[in-house]
Amino acid sequence: MELFNLAWKNLWRSRRRTLITLAALSFSLMLIQAFHNLSYGVYSAMIDSGVRAGTGHLVVFRQDYLKTRDEKLSFNPHDLAGEIGQIDGVEAVLPRLYLPGLAQSSRESRGILLTGVVPAVERQVNPFLRGLPDDQWLTSLEGREAILGHLLLKELQLKKGNKFVVTLQHRSGELVSEMFRVHGVIKTGIKSVDKRLLMVGHNRAAAMVGNPDDIHELAIVLEDQDLNYLVLPQLQELLKPHSTLEGMSWERAMPNLYNAIRLDYASQKFIFVIMMLIVTIGVINTLLMSVMERFREFGIILAVGASTARLRILVFIEALLLGLVSMVIGSSLGSLATWYLQVVGIDMRNFISETLEFGGVVFDPIMRAGWDLPWMGKISVYLLILSLLAAVYPAVKAGRISPAAAIRHH
Amino acid sequence: MALIELKSVTKIYPLGNQEVVAVDDFSLSIEAGEFSVFAGPSGSGKTTLLNMIGCLDQPTRGEIWLEGQEIGHADQKMLSELRLRNIGFIFQSYNLIPVLTAAENAEFTLMLQRVDKRERRERVTDLFSLLGLDGLENRKPSDLSGGQQQRVAIARAMASEPTVVLADEPTASLDSHASEELLALMQRLNQEQGATFIFSSHDPLVISHGKRVVRLHDGHLESDQ
Repeated sequence: MELFNLAWKNLWRSRRRTLITLAALSFSLMLIQAFHNLSYGVYSAMIDSGVRAGTGHLVVFRQDYLKTRDEKLSFNPHDLAGEIGQIDGVEAVLPRLYLPGLAQSSRESRGILLTGVVPAVERQVNPFLRGLPDDQWLTSLEGREAILGHLLLKELQLKKGNKFVVTLQHRSGELVSEMFRVHGVIKTGIKSVDKRLLMVGHNRAAAMVGNPDDIHELAIVLEDQDLNYLVLPQLQELLKPHSTLEGMSWERAMPNLYNAIRLDYASQKFIFVIMMLIVTIGVINTLLMSVMERFREFGIILAVGASTARLRILVFIEALLLGLVSMVIGSSLGSLATWYLQVVGIDMRNFISETLEFGGVVFDPIMRAGWDLPWMGKISVYLLILSLLAAVYPAVKAGRISPAAAIRHH
Repeated sequence: MALIELKSVTKIYPLGNQEVVAVDDFSLSIEAGEFSVFAGPSGSGKTTLLNMIGCLDQPTRGEIWLEGQEIGHADQKMLSELRLRNIGFIFQSYNLIPVLTAAENAEFTLMLQRVDKRERRERVTDLFSLLGLDGLENRKPSDLSGGQQQRVAIARAMASEPTVVLADEPTASLDSHASEELLALMQRLNQEQGATFIFSSHDPLVISHGKRVVRLHDGHLESDQ
């Protein structure tokens, strides 16, 4: 305890130098925590939006469907959706059918992706449908109402209430055509989706290809994305009797989004590492200066009986205290900054006029932070470890002092 | 058996490409309870001798025995343990730790010995009283006079009740009045507590207080009275 007391007093010998080092450490920790939490919040929002509109947090496909996108690789879910819905943490199960085809108006024709959905479930979960008024949403599984992406509507030169024809291939190989009516229009902000999206009731779409009960995807949305790793094993257990089906998490099912986030975060981590290195050099400098200034005093401490090990421990305790104080101040400031970024956020609309697409997902223009408390704790501990590592050289240097030489030193 | 015995001790320091013989084939015995002074001009080897007896330095050749233990060739761990348990140091420029109070400085060796805090405080209070430092326990070294600082240094050296107290030019930074007071105090500690004191000095005042005066010249024993 006395060594802690001495180390603490030693730290404040050069008040200005210690304050500058503390400020550098704390400020870096604050920046790293705040920026990480901002990214965490943005990524979480993107993942949430992406999985709800896309494959879900977890998804069931026929094997090879993900790789080939072959519409023949459909399956009949039977009671699977109901069984999956019983797993704890599952918020919704969305059966979807995807059929490539051609939409024709009286003036234009365009390639489309006919998406057969269960309207009642899709409406609750899919973020693309948030802005769609209730009276424009699909009313039945079999109806001829269709929801179109706004760019597709424009290119086909259609208006709400207009009729158009969809042609696609029946499982027998024949081409089949059916007439639909524009019931609603959605704007996802993703050009490729807005140009091709055509959403209809599942049964109507399935009947066109001659597989009335089949789907291509069973998207599973969870109450919390962190439940992924708990629910996936249960899903895979449930799929064991269905040898042609495979269950996977969104990271595998939506590699574009996953890789975009990973790449973005990797570049951030690189900056974090540089910041930490700069700060570590600062700590080494502070501790080394402090050791060199006390060369004679360390000689006296050794002369009165302290072992070199104790002297080294003293230097390490000084680094530990420096790290601990920075941890507390830095984490407090980091929490404050995170709170601000969560409540107020950063409004990017002042800088970007159009919606931004990132990894196939629309980027929310107001970036808001999220709390990643385990990571905040982890990075604080890293800072502490770095402070201690920074003390290694000064401590070794202190331990090499010869008391007789140090006492002669002026 | 003598408390300290030096047998044919030689200390050579490298100086660039040359070698400097600081102490040359020096032999001496010191009994417990002595109040001895190593006297001689600068460069005569008195501080080198004191450092070797105090386990701060080791001889190039020869043997040094402390309480029947050969310390001239001991390893660093043993030397620091000997310094902690057996030796008390008083330096020319006090060398107190500036961030600690007078009492904390005096307790420092006891703290290193892991002596209980209450016992430490009791011992230091007694010593402060004996050394006329009452009321100065919580002062920082910078708030004390030179004489007071040196008395705190004596308290630090004496607190752990060492076998021998080594004082290297203890009065060099003090005026004659403070020097006289300090020497009287150390003499009292020698008589009342039986502590062995060895000084190195060229100050006639210190030499006059020595019960035994060992004179050195160029690393050799000149006289022993």
